[in-house]
Amino acid sequence: MSSAGFTWEGRSFQIDARCLEGDPVPGAWVHVCALPDEGARIQYDQPEVQQVRRDALAWWIPLLGDELVCLSTLALDEVYCGGAITVARSPRLFDQDPFARLFPGTVIRSDVFSVVAAPAGPVLERYAGAPWPGGRFG
Amino acid sequence: MTALQPGERFPDLDLPDHTGRARTLSELAAGDPVVLVFSRGWWCPKEQRYLRELTGLQDEFEVAYTRIVVVSVDEPGVQSAFRAGLGARFTFLSDAQRQWLGRLGLEETTDTTHHPYLPTAFTLHPDLTIHAVYPGYWYWGRATMQELRRDMRTISRAVREGFDGP
Repeated sequence: MSSAGFTWEGRSFQIDARCLEGDPVPGAWVHVCALPDEGARIQYDQPEVQQVRRDALAWWIPLLGDELVCLSTLALDEVYCGGAITVARSPRLFDQDPFARLFPGTVIRSDVFSVVAAPAGPVLERYAGAPWPGGRFG
Repeated sequence: MTALQPGERFPDLDLPDHTGRARTLSELAAGDPVVLVFSRGWWCPKEQRYLRELTGLQDEFEVAYTRIVVVSVDEPGVQSAFRAGLGARFTFLSDAQRQWLGRLGLEETTDTTHHPYLPTAFTLHPDLTIHAVYPGYWYWGRATMQELRRDMRTISRAVREGFDGP
């Protein structure tokens, strides 16, 4: 399984399933860059979405360092992205989250997210429509 | 020169990445073909030149389900700064403790100051089977970007179902 359901403000998204598969980090901080409005979506292939993923690989993940728990884009279907979540042990760097360029961020706390190894770049392309950075062939 | 040859399985390196997190090579490959580059370190002008070239290739790698991994003896913090300066989005692995250098037979014995890796590149299948080896002590021995493209094409053709079209 490469994706799992995530519901926020009554809106359903698909996230990288690995974010929910390990031992949960209690009280993790979640930066949800999305909007409740069902119309708030953008195509994965849009340059804005490509560029924030490049930024995530280039400096967002290194900036978070050991504070990072996991991150995932919020997939709506095989074409559209509804934003992204970054889960960390502290919210202190969330004001620099590049995914907030797609949709504004909201900070919540959660006990369900687990540590996922940061993605290895430079792959940006998604695997068969899976939420980035999850999925693989075979 | 390394004893590792095409057809052999490359060891599953376990090293910290440029952020200090423990990683394995198989985890970084994540089911994709890999260009694995052993680099002297940030101080070497040849490495700076070559990694700038490799960084230019990452735009293709990022849309082609293929990975780039660089290993050097620099500390993670140094690698992170070097990586940021290059504008690289791929992963660096730090062998500052030289735990794999001897085991891989990749010591550069002529540099008694830094004790770095002998510059060498490998192209790997997703299961870490070696496709090709490029000795890079002399700069012109290094894999050109065209050779890396060619190897990624050959490996992808072998491992991707429907490579010639669905």
